[in-house]
Amino acid sequence: MPYTVDNRPANFREQMYFPEILQGLKIAARHFFKNLFFSRDANPDFLERDRSLNWVATLQYPEERVTYPPGYRGLHRLVPREDGKPRCVACYMCATACPAQCIYIEAGEYADDPVEKYPVKFVIDEMRCIVCGFCVEACPKDAIRMDSGEHAPPSYDRAAQIWDEQRLLRGPPISYQNDPWLRRGSPSISPEKLEEMRARARPFPTVATDEASQTPGFSVRALAQEAKERGEGR
Amino acid sequence: MSRLFGMIFVLGGLVVALVGLGWAFYLLAGFLAVTFANAGLPAQYGAVIGNLLTLLLVVVMVPGSLLSVAERKWSALIQNRIGANRIRIAGSSLGGIPFLVADAVKMLTKERFQPDQATRFLFNLAPILAFAPVFALFAIVPVGPAVPLSAINGAEGALGRVAIALQVASPDAGLLYLFAIASLAVYGTSLAGWASNNKLALLGGVRAASQMISYEVSLGLALVGTMIAYRTLRLEEMVVAQGQGVLGAIPALGILLQPVGFLIFFASAFAETKRAPFDLPEGESEIVGYFLEYSGMQFGLLFLSEFVEIVILSGVIVAVFFGGWHPILFEETLRAQLSPLAFAAIGAGAFLGKMVVLMWVQMLIRWVLPRFRYDQIQKLCWKILLPAALLNIFITAAAVLVDPSLRLLAGIGLVELVAMGAITAAVSRAPKAAHGHADAHGTDHGTAHAAAGH
Repeated sequence: MPYTVDNRPANFREQMYFPEILQGLKIAARHFFKNLFFSRDANPDFLERDRSLNWVATLQYPEERVTYPPGYRGLHRLVPREDGKPRCVACYMCATACPAQCIYIEAGEYADDPVEKYPVKFVIDEMRCIVCGFCVEACPKDAIRMDSGEHAPPSYDRAAQIWDEQRLLRGPPISYQNDPWLRRGSPSISPEKLEEMRARARPFPTVATDEASQTPGFSVRALAQEAKERGEGR
Repeated sequence: MSRLFGMIFVLGGLVVALVGLGWAFYLLAGFLAVTFANAGLPAQYGAVIGNLLTLLLVVVMVPGSLLSVAERKWSALIQNRIGANRIRIAGSSLGGIPFLVADAVKMLTKERFQPDQATRFLFNLAPILAFAPVFALFAIVPVGPAVPLSAINGAEGALGRVAIALQVASPDAGLLYLFAIASLAVYGTSLAGWASNNKLALLGGVRAASQMISYEVSLGLALVGTMIAYRTLRLEEMVVAQGQGVLGAIPALGILLQPVGFLIFFASAFAETKRAPFDLPEGESEIVGYFLEYSGMQFGLLFLSEFVEIVILSGVIVAVFFGGWHPILFEETLRAQLSPLAFAAIGAGAFLGKMVVLMWVQMLIRWVLPRFRYDQIQKLCWKILLPAALLNIFITAAAVLVDPSLRLLAGIGLVELVAMGAITAAVSRAPKAAHGHADAHGTDHGTAHAAAGH
């Protein structure tokens, strides 16, 4: 909101300097003592911090991180099916939509299921990616998402920024009721597993919402931490 | 809450440590005095050497270098930040103190670069000339009262009557020595600017010289009032005189007798330290400053002399205006109950404690006020401080002439202090704009942020 700056000349009291200086010292001293004597609320969600006693607003970044908002486009992941294979059917829609042309796909067929395609190679060059999210929009199978809540981790060589299908395939699996492999069955899925997947399947969302494109509570960091705790560090 | 108790514990520990430090200073001075007397030399020489070691190296240098860390951490607290804390020892940043070591290592290992065609000799001399006079100023500051040697380590006979004070030198000239040495510091800065063979450094040096020479005048005149009031030039006699009661039990502190003199002296001495709001000799955006061509420890000396000046300034102000080593509270009880050495140690601790508070106040001012423009600095000096100092001298002299018991002077000072307090308390904020967005940017918290920003 625009407001006018009041540039009136200083009155006599202000021209004496010291009253206003002492007022300023009072304010600065109040800040000093409050921040000195009381401990900081280290809540990463710093807008929610209790700042009644200590006014420090610092976020100690590597140790404390802000959780990103729900619509945040983070690192890509290939969404797995319940049986661990990618939902991706290698239709090249994402690679076509990608304005940075950072997605490379090689399609293949399951040996026992000639109807179904899958990506033999699915490579994203995270250095070329401009994080526009068009690939997520383009995907007809909800097979690629940017819901990890993480940006691409730094690395010392460029090769580490090229993510292949093994690194991309992670996170909670999803099944939809209109998935073709659930509706017609697939030789690559055992009948019991198929029943289980059908039972868990959700209706395919017709409206794009944050909830539809985001997996609540999922983060690559949490997954990595779990893997580390299991002793699967790579 | 644990931080609250921890901080109270640390501050209490600081007070105890300061008193213990004073005690240790007396013991060392007494020990050296006895050693010298046994070797056939005057006992006073030993005391002076002890004081040189303790007062100049411990009381001046340690806080002077700690202030470089304190500036980071204290400014952070004032601005709602945390400050330097990335050097961790066993998971604790120890209040940022390890940065002192890091800075020292960095300064000492950096290349000492000399610009082409610089005047070599003066270029190398300037940091020394900037640092040494400031350092020498502390020699006349009386940190602790005089105690007979017999009370310190039980020396007997004539040796036991030798008075040991925590003061390096006590020349008759006293404050005149202070003025003389303080004005030498200008050589360091102006030579640093001139010898660098750099236009911008020269500008910085010229600015520093003109600023310091201007403020030298009001600095001297501001203390003339106290000289008149206490009828002495010696700092230790001024401190003793401040213990006597005037206006009933209220002691004749310099701040009570000379409040205007204090303000003028504080402002002028602040200008002498060349720190914000008087940091015109340096200016990153315009001229960088007189130390532009310096690197390594030579820059470190110029940098450190600023902080040492803060320490010295605090010491002088405590001695002249805040009762020196007088603990002020419970003074008679302490003097009657404790041994002379213990009382003197508490006195020295009180002096050091007051110094710490004054150093903190100077840091606070530095982070509250924006810098002046150059013409404003000269205007403040010649048009405000100088006439006020002259007026203060006349009023003080007249009051002492009318009433030599200083009661009239104390009364005038009390009225001045009350008036200052009343003017400060009568907050007259700018009238709020009429069309209804006053609360959008006028809250107390908002102004606090605006004031703390630098």
